[in-house]
Amino acid sequence: MVKNKKNVIRRSREDVVVDTVVHVLIVLMLLLTLYPILNVFSKAFSSQTAIISNAVTIYPIGFQTSTMEYVLSSNLFSTAFKNSVTVTVLGTLLSVAVTSMAAYPFSKRNLIFYKPLIMLFVFTMWFSGGLIPTYLAYKELKMLNSLKVLILPAAINVYNMLLLKNYYESLPEALEEAARIDGANKFQIFFQIVLPLSMPVLATVCLFTAVGLWNDFYSPMMYNTRTQLRTLSQYLYDMVAQSGTDLTMSTNADDLMNNTLPEAVRAASIIASITPILVVYPFLQKYFVKGALIGSVKG
Amino acid sequence: MFKGKLKMKDSLGYYIFLLPALIVLLVFRYYPMRGLFIAFQKFDIFAGIENSKFVGMQNFQRLFSSRDFLQVFRNTLVISALKIVLLFPMGIIVALILNELRSVVYKRFVQTVIYIPHFFSWVVVATLMNNFFSVSGGLMNRVINALGGESIGFLVSNTWFRSILIFSSGWKESGWNAIVYIAAIASINPDLYEAASIDGAGRLGKIRHITIPSIMPTVVMLLIIRVGWLLDAGTQQILVMYNPVVYEVADVIGTYVYRFGLGKMEYSLGAAAGLFNSVVGLLMVLLSNALSRKFRGVSIW
Repeated sequence: MVKNKKNVIRRSREDVVVDTVVHVLIVLMLLLTLYPILNVFSKAFSSQTAIISNAVTIYPIGFQTSTMEYVLSSNLFSTAFKNSVTVTVLGTLLSVAVTSMAAYPFSKRNLIFYKPLIMLFVFTMWFSGGLIPTYLAYKELKMLNSLKVLILPAAINVYNMLLLKNYYESLPEALEEAARIDGANKFQIFFQIVLPLSMPVLATVCLFTAVGLWNDFYSPMMYNTRTQLRTLSQYLYDMVAQSGTDLTMSTNADDLMNNTLPEAVRAASIIASITPILVVYPFLQKYFVKGALIGSVKG
Repeated sequence: MFKGKLKMKDSLGYYIFLLPALIVLLVFRYYPMRGLFIAFQKFDIFAGIENSKFVGMQNFQRLFSSRDFLQVFRNTLVISALKIVLLFPMGIIVALILNELRSVVYKRFVQTVIYIPHFFSWVVVATLMNNFFSVSGGLMNRVINALGGESIGFLVSNTWFRSILIFSSGWKESGWNAIVYIAAIASINPDLYEAASIDGAGRLGKIRHITIPSIMPTVVMLLIIRVGWLLDAGTQQILVMYNPVVYEVADVIGTYVYRFGLGKMEYSLGAAAGLFNSVVGLLMVLLSNALSRKFRGVSIW
């Protein structure tokens, strides 16, 4: 309050100018961020004639839900949705289990072979076989065209491992020491003391892993070609690719009859696939932000 | 905490925690590296890596004498450099602007909104941007038309496509990239601002003489790391956004490896391009790590 009063008294010309510029820039930023999202959202729920006549901007015109119903009930979409959920759930569980365990020994700096072992992990962040050798190896391992090719290689995430290692290191050593004196073995100490204390950072790692798997389209595109294995990103990509250079719009009578105007279907599919993230995101924002911070500042 | 090395028996107990991760690492990260040999072979998929003919540097010679690859290499550098020059400052600017907002609630709302695009996949962002820049009803062309201009086919224009890539990338990540700087600004000692006020500094003066110098260490460090990833021009993004019309300006090493290596089954050539990319990339990352360590006195991991 005191500060506010002071500001009111001392609002110089510079203050007014700065405030005005800041507010204009913020509003521009908000509009620029929200317009593309609102536009697609509106197209998903607008009538086909409104879409074709380019009347839709940031609110639905001629509100209807049949396009969305068409998308949600289509086989292609539901298969892709199911695959994405499978990969995200199983992949996240596996990755967090393997990664959180791997980080534990590295929180003990006096581990024998600490340096060579951690280098073995860190090196893979900087160097990889690249697409072709990886493709050939997966082919040899009979991994192509399966959901496991999306889940198993993601089981270790070195970046997340380093986040977790740093967090374990920050826990008071005395807790582990006390448990050890009480006769607890390493597994009991890890699962009953270290992990429960690391819940905040585990939540962050879980979220990043899940979002990464949900959004990944590179791996499915490279390693899976069968329709029944398609994930949501691939399903969306196929639609984008179809529209890619074809900038004239289909006004095919059939499309109109069946509520399957490509642009509308595309919009509805986008909305359906980002809804899970949009619903969850505001509640978990603090975990996301925390992750971004421990990642970039300390690492 | 460091009471000398652990006993071997103790270490063995800890290694068990590492085991699953090590298996995954060896099978899915290190084993595929064996395939890098085919960059030096005339790879025959039926003969396999063991029996394909060794040809030395021939694939690399082919690569570097092909117009295509040189173009691709140049595109990679240009797109990546443009992204650094134009987008790296965006996170800082956003953080500085947000810092001038006095209402905490408003500030939090703005943050929530501008972080959202970070969580969209490139496929989603590509669709949103296709809409935004579309000739038929995209906002960009609406604005141009309203100002009396002719519609521009941004997505199929060699003149415009790189700008679209950079804009899209900025749209997706600028808000998110501000997080680090927002935190850095929040940790500045308020006494400094107080003292500056007493000395008669205005808001711009405080930004220039206190805020910016205080976050400089963070800025320099992140810039060094960012430059280390120069060869990564955004393969995923380009893969979903480009089309044959703009290959000339948008094809980068990552997309080239995909189209030639996998698409046209030029495995050896693709592996050679990939190896070149990985080796130069590794050297740059190591160099930038060494630099930032020197700069900050700590290593990144």
